[in-house]
Amino acid sequence: MDLAPVLDGFTVVLEPTNLLYCLIGVVVGMLVGVLPGLGPAATIAILLPITIGIEPVTAIIMLAGIFYGAQYGGTITSVLLKLPGEASSVVTVFDGYAMARQGRAGTALGIAAIGSFVGGTVSIVALSFLAPVVAGFALDFGPPEYTALALLGILLVATVSSGDRLKAVVAACIGLLLATVGRDGFTATERFTFDNLNLADGLDFVPIAMGLFGLGEILYNLEERHKAIQAPTKVANVWPSRQDLRQSSGAIGRGSVIGFVLGILPGGGATLSSLAAYGVEKRRSKTPERFGKGAVEGVAGPETANNAAATSSFIPLLTLGIPANATMAVIFGALLVVGVTPGPQLVSEEPELFWGVVNSMYIGNILLLIMSIPLVGLFVKILRVRPAILAPITVLITLIGVYTVNNNVFDIMLVIVFGVIGYLMKKGGFDPGPLLLAFVLGALLEDGLRRSLLIFDGDATGFFTRPISGTLLVVFLVVAIYPLVSALRDRRRQDPAQDTSDPNTKELV
Amino acid sequence: MTTNHRARRWALSGAGLTLALSLAACGGNVGGGGSDSGEEFPGGDPITILVGQDPGGSTDLIARAAADGLSDELGVPVTVENQPGANGALAAQSLAGEEPDGHTLMVYNGSLAYITPLAVDEGAVPDIADFDIVTGLSLDDYVLVTAPSSGLATVEDLAAAGRAITFGTTGVGTGSQLSQELLFAQADIDATAVPFDGGSPTLTAVLGGQVDVGSVQLGEAIEQIESGALTPIVTFAEERPSYLPDTPTAVEAGYDVPVQQSRAVFAPQGLPDDVMQTLRDGFEAAFGTEGYQQLNEDNLLTPLEVDGEEIRERWTENLDNYRAVVEEYGINLGGDA
Repeated sequence: MDLAPVLDGFTVVLEPTNLLYCLIGVVVGMLVGVLPGLGPAATIAILLPITIGIEPVTAIIMLAGIFYGAQYGGTITSVLLKLPGEASSVVTVFDGYAMARQGRAGTALGIAAIGSFVGGTVSIVALSFLAPVVAGFALDFGPPEYTALALLGILLVATVSSGDRLKAVVAACIGLLLATVGRDGFTATERFTFDNLNLADGLDFVPIAMGLFGLGEILYNLEERHKAIQAPTKVANVWPSRQDLRQSSGAIGRGSVIGFVLGILPGGGATLSSLAAYGVEKRRSKTPERFGKGAVEGVAGPETANNAAATSSFIPLLTLGIPANATMAVIFGALLVVGVTPGPQLVSEEPELFWGVVNSMYIGNILLLIMSIPLVGLFVKILRVRPAILAPITVLITLIGVYTVNNNVFDIMLVIVFGVIGYLMKKGGFDPGPLLLAFVLGALLEDGLRRSLLIFDGDATGFFTRPISGTLLVVFLVVAIYPLVSALRDRRRQDPAQDTSDPNTKELV
Repeated sequence: MTTNHRARRWALSGAGLTLALSLAACGGNVGGGGSDSGEEFPGGDPITILVGQDPGGSTDLIARAAADGLSDELGVPVTVENQPGANGALAAQSLAGEEPDGHTLMVYNGSLAYITPLAVDEGAVPDIADFDIVTGLSLDDYVLVTAPSSGLATVEDLAAAGRAITFGTTGVGTGSQLSQELLFAQADIDATAVPFDGGSPTLTAVLGGQVDVGSVQLGEAIEQIESGALTPIVTFAEERPSYLPDTPTAVEAGYDVPVQQSRAVFAPQGLPDDVMQTLRDGFEAAFGTEGYQQLNEDNLLTPLEVDGEEIRERWTENLDNYRAVVEEYGINLGGDA
């Protein structure tokens, strides 16, 4: 591995402007992590337009900071107030809040911060080594490979996501439909454009993201009654004891691995990996009854995993141009806005951007580790800002912001329409994430498939004879068929149990 | 139009806010500067140049370089506003809705005038007869490239390949598509078009051997051509561009397919003569600046700083010619017939 571009990346990060934006990013990230409701996807969507005037690398450093910063921030309110600021910190509530009630809030926050740092760092190191390997295949990635990847991505989004599976599939289908709007890139035929030139290039990604996540979330949160925030218990004794560290070191190690792996998978990400890590810790523990009553592993595992996942989900985006989760989809949009098309050639064509962003995560994680504890009091105060003040300001920034991307009033309308759709989806229990991901992947899938068939002269077996697309399609089949097989096996396993009540049937068969 | 005014006000507050944000954040630079208002055009009011493409592309860079020179010459701020969409038709639509007072202009791509109409429905592209043309800007050449590993180096090689050739285009209704469709039709080469989304993905596909050849703008491919990663087969200019003197043109190779991208400054119809003259002089001064000439050189653009009527003639003639050959060879740029 050639180390020169990696080191150049550090010089990029250490430029004062970039350091400043990294700091802004992680502080904003922690802030939105603390605020329940407003997630990193929404924040990044809302802040997309301000990236226009900034250097691409600086912009992405800041947005990435928001993302992993939010994972730290979400912990604070989970532990102190039993109020998870982030979906990925929901499981931290179980043991974190219990610890706080035992007067060990400081320990919980300290362990979470250390775990987050370790998880994040492990993930960045792995990212540094893995990304160039993937990018080495850059030119071998043609339309057939993208078709297979998009197919796999859509399948995983619909099956792996954390909510209701059927609803995720429905949302993904709507996303696929939305992707068909616009002038057909192959025949110039108008599709669902209603003779409106604004729709000729299809629906733009940015207003959809800003509507679904930005406006939709704000509208939804306005409905919630906000309880008075109690003053937090005084946080003391942040440094965990030696025993706490020993108890949680295993959890931190496993959390790093779980987070890294699940973060890469499309549809995975921080939320899923924190749930998985909690489950693993509880199952492995010799004293599972301690969980939910202040087990330090129950904080260390998920908090490590969500940060590791936040980092590793950059891998598919930066190396293949495929967003693994909704937040990555929004960062994908940000890259497009600043004029960078993420894909296999990013590492070789824009090494400064790639390594600048990757290396900024080391710095960002250190900043977060230093800041997270002393700033706890401040962040809790921010929770007292009334939504009646915060919401209108955010809406205004969103609407003005989207206008500045394309200087087009039509986009403002799109944000409003998708804001309402996002609100209704949340009310109906639909996660807008699969919709947005399927929208991005749908365009990739259709274009890739049609290009491939043109290249293969209509012969679909070409997908299987190329090594990379063939392998991906096999993985696709395995993922698609596995749930059926395991369901079948479960039924088999249940059968003998039933058989005991009626032994004759088995023998007859 | 009231809606338009409202829209404009939105624009201003939006721009103001981003400006304030970026200023606050990074101490960014704000160009231009006011001037004393006078009676004559531009009278101290700023000029906006619309661009129908994304920031950072050739059209955008040209507009920005010209805007700098124009601003210095006329003493008013000249801002570039990107309104990407529908090959530039969206920006042209909003230009048509503006007052012909010289304060709103647009850098118009020739492809929208003489290639896109061949691919999309009538009514989906604006008619250049509805605009005043201030001045021509420059020509951009298309070059047919292939990866060295393909073993193809000339048009004859393509004809003798003994199989259907796949060619990457930068999209439907682009010069990239038209140039290749015409060449392969005239050379009687069996070939399939594979449209990509812009120049960079097309190049990637050619480099990776996903498609056999591709036609892209010269400035996008020159680095790879010079490093030997791509082999130029022909250019589609009428004469060899000075930037690529050793590559034959398709015309030299015996085919009648001159296809070039051309750009010009458009204004809403009905521009007063004195305003037109002031703008022309202003642009002329801008073309003389070192910054603008450097831009042409860096992006391998051939200046075509002729007056508006000559542009109108050339572009109309191009459209007629292309329409005739496309019909003659039964080429359908829309592709689905």
